Amino acid sequence: MSLKDIKAGDSFKAAEEVDKYRTIYYAGASGDFNPIHIDPEFGKMVGLGGVILHGLCTLGFVAKAITDWCGDPGSLKRLKCRFAKPVHIGDTVSTEAMVSTVENGLAMLDIKVTNQLGEEVLTMTSASVSLE
Amino acid sequence: MAVDRKFIGKEYGPMTYEVCKEKIKEYARAIKNEDPHYLDEEFATRSKYGGIIAPPTFAVIYSGQLAMPFFMDPELNLDFAMLVHGEQEFEFYDIVRPGDVITTQGKIANIENKEKVDVISLDAYSRNQEGKLVCKAVYTFVIRKS
Repeated sequence: MSLKDIKAGDSFKAAEEVDKYRTIYYAGASGDFNPIHIDPEFGKMVGLGGVILHGLCTLGFVAKAITDWCGDPGSLKRLKCRFAKPVHIGDTVSTEAMVSTVENGLAMLDIKVTNQLGEEVLTMTSASVSLE
Repeated sequence: MAVDRKFIGKEYGPMTYEVCKEKIKEYARAIKNEDPHYLDEEFATRSKYGGIIAPPTFAVIYSGQLAMPFFMDPELNLDFAMLVHGEQEFEFYDIVRPGDVITTQGKIANIENKEKVDVISLDAYSRNQEGKLVCKAVYTFVIRKS
């Protein structure tokens, strides 16, 4: 796909499974060792039912879905979300995006990010991609 | 206790971060992103960027450095046990590459005192060694009132 072919109404999907050690990898890479992400006992104690994935890792999955689709990491210009619901080990995070508008060389994306139960884990998610 | 709105405008940093190829690879693998722009030297050299680049959200690595002084600010006195990451926004202005030295300056952009929560947002502006803005990140945290 070429960036210049992108038009309003185009859509794409991607999914990532949160494998057992994902939060450990992300903690190591990011330096965020908050026990809610790495200590299942602590996660249970504070009512989360185990460890939860770092929100910024979930958002990293979304960024990957976008850049895999458009083919150029440098074309992602803006990305935002609200962290609405915890993501757990074993969950599958699905990203579904649609181009809402194309204006002045920028494609605006409306994005839905859900778990395997169809619950939105991120809300108000949007991005813009440069087509130039 | 509510977070005092008088701290709107308070600054953190500057903090500098030197980007290296191995950290880029570690970060990319951590977010399950095997894009050859980040991992494959040969592919990256042939790409329009002429070498390995950082994923856009690598911004969390260099601008996230502000988290420590912000969270640990004794004056602000955030209730860390009640704090969650509420929202995140990035604006990307330029490619970040290995060898870049990124300097990030942060500022409390807003504090809202709501009935049950305080909402505090931190703007982080990251510039490279040429002074060029590479990323603006907005970290928004929600603190439940105990």
